[in-house]
Amino acid sequence: MTPTPSRTARVFPWALLAALALFPLLAPIFGLDYYVGFVRHGLIVTIAATSLNFILGYGGMAALGQAGFIGVGAYTVVALVEAGFTSAWGAWAAAFGVSAAVAAAIGVVSLRTRGVYFLMITLAFAAMLHHLGVSLRIWGGDDGYGLYAPLDLGMGLGDAQGRTLYWVVLALAALLFAFLNRVAVSRFGYALRGIRDNETCMEALGYPVQWIKFAAFVAAGAVAGLAGALLACHNRFVSPSLMHWTESATLLVIVVIGGLGRRWGAPLGAAVWLTLTETLKLYTEYWRWPLGLLLILIVFLAPRGLAALVEDPGETA
Amino acid sequence: MSLFVAEDLFKHFGGLVAVDHVSLAVEPGEVHALIGPNGAGKTTLVNLISGLLPLDAGRLTLDGVELTALPPHRRVRHGLARCFQITSVFGQDPVFDNLLLAVQAQAGSSFRCLRRRATESAWHDRALALARTVGLDEVLDRAAGALPHGAQRQLDVALALAARPKLLLLDEPLAGMGPEESAQMVALIQRLRTETAILLIEHDMDAVFQLADRISVLDYGRLLASGDVAYIRDHPEVQAVYLGAEAAA
Repeated sequence: MTPTPSRTARVFPWALLAALALFPLLAPIFGLDYYVGFVRHGLIVTIAATSLNFILGYGGMAALGQAGFIGVGAYTVVALVEAGFTSAWGAWAAAFGVSAAVAAAIGVVSLRTRGVYFLMITLAFAAMLHHLGVSLRIWGGDDGYGLYAPLDLGMGLGDAQGRTLYWVVLALAALLFAFLNRVAVSRFGYALRGIRDNETCMEALGYPVQWIKFAAFVAAGAVAGLAGALLACHNRFVSPSLMHWTESATLLVIVVIGGLGRRWGAPLGAAVWLTLTETLKLYTEYWRWPLGLLLILIVFLAPRGLAALVEDPGETA
Repeated sequence: MSLFVAEDLFKHFGGLVAVDHVSLAVEPGEVHALIGPNGAGKTTLVNLISGLLPLDAGRLTLDGVELTALPPHRRVRHGLARCFQITSVFGQDPVFDNLLLAVQAQAGSSFRCLRRRATESAWHDRALALARTVGLDEVLDRAAGALPHGAQRQLDVALALAARPKLLLLDEPLAGMGPEESAQMVALIQRLRTETAILLIEHDMDAVFQLADRISVLDYGRLLASGDVAYIRDHPEVQAVYLGAEAAA
């Protein structure tokens, strides 16, 4: 029953991927070197936002603690570096695994609640992780922890920095995007959206509702942790502010303006949010004022998210 | 042996005893109706049986399998399906997708996330068969929420039937229906009795007397009487608390 995607819809992701892949090569020619780092950051934010879109947009779980898992991933990298570990892939895999474990522990408790209560309890857990980060003196506490030497990618790729890190991040973001699109039309994807739309009915149909939600929550936590690990390598610095609740809120805003439960929601939301903040900061120190006004405008003009305007302009709300 | 046995079910909310030591049995192929005035505890009883509410005490067995400690979805796997008093279909989605989702629930693991669901062609036949059973095969592409009320209730029944239930719980399937829709639903229930036993909660006494093999009457959470149609119709206590007004009229 899914309509066949148009030619443009099929070609566009590949064209975008090619353009993003070529960007670090072309940027120096136009004197845009600074923006390689900017786009790299945007891609990492996209990965984090995708994890939130998965549980919120597809799963209907309004989590306000996603930044907590980003922090867990970032601090996993810190812990390994502190212990003398240098492999980037190993550190990222560990960040993925540790975040999954933390998400599992938090999920067991918080998934007993729904709606606003779920939002509050995920917020509370993230706040606890934030305070844990502040109090861990060995990793810099409030001052943060600098990662002076880049991690090693191995396989002849060298250090996880600069353009190499950019391409690795791009590849991971693209894989995640492709994977999520496949999940969306799989058994799991349909079951997850069914739970979002009518949990009681799904239970009555015989779905293991709690387990499906739990699996989605853990997967999202793991992906957010991976984003945190990448962010640690991107910034070469990790501090508890990564886990501040406003970071979770920013992700929420990104996903909502981008489009909840839509494939382009997270990338579009991240691109628009980061471009707007970056541009407005060039003009004024008081950039939050115009940003707020623009967000209100977006919410009114595209209540189902910017991706809805692109994906199905004809659909009525 | 009875197909379904509920023994000594008990549930209280704070000081209010909602279901007070109720025992019920449903035989294979039987339509067992559960009636009682508003607030008698009928819906609570259905929620206890389907597992949406935890029991305080009592025991449930279906076809020899003990259900008491199982969560709702596991009870469905063992052949206990239900429909809700409030229509609960996925309104945004087409009728056919609703049915596919119900079929998927019985078709193995829902944790597979790499294979496209569209490739599961066997499900399509099953979904289509369900649509035919309830007479919705002409409207497969319509959004479920846009169907008339009666058709939504029929879809609701089809979703429950996807589980190939041994016992089907119908919670007020005729509520809010016009005479024509009611007649259709009654005819559907008549057809279904060959496939599954039915526990029917219903206010429409004409339908109950027409469909039921056995009737149990609840009042203030207690089982007042249980027996065949004639027995219940002539039961003095039942007439007093429930049929009183209608019997007099």
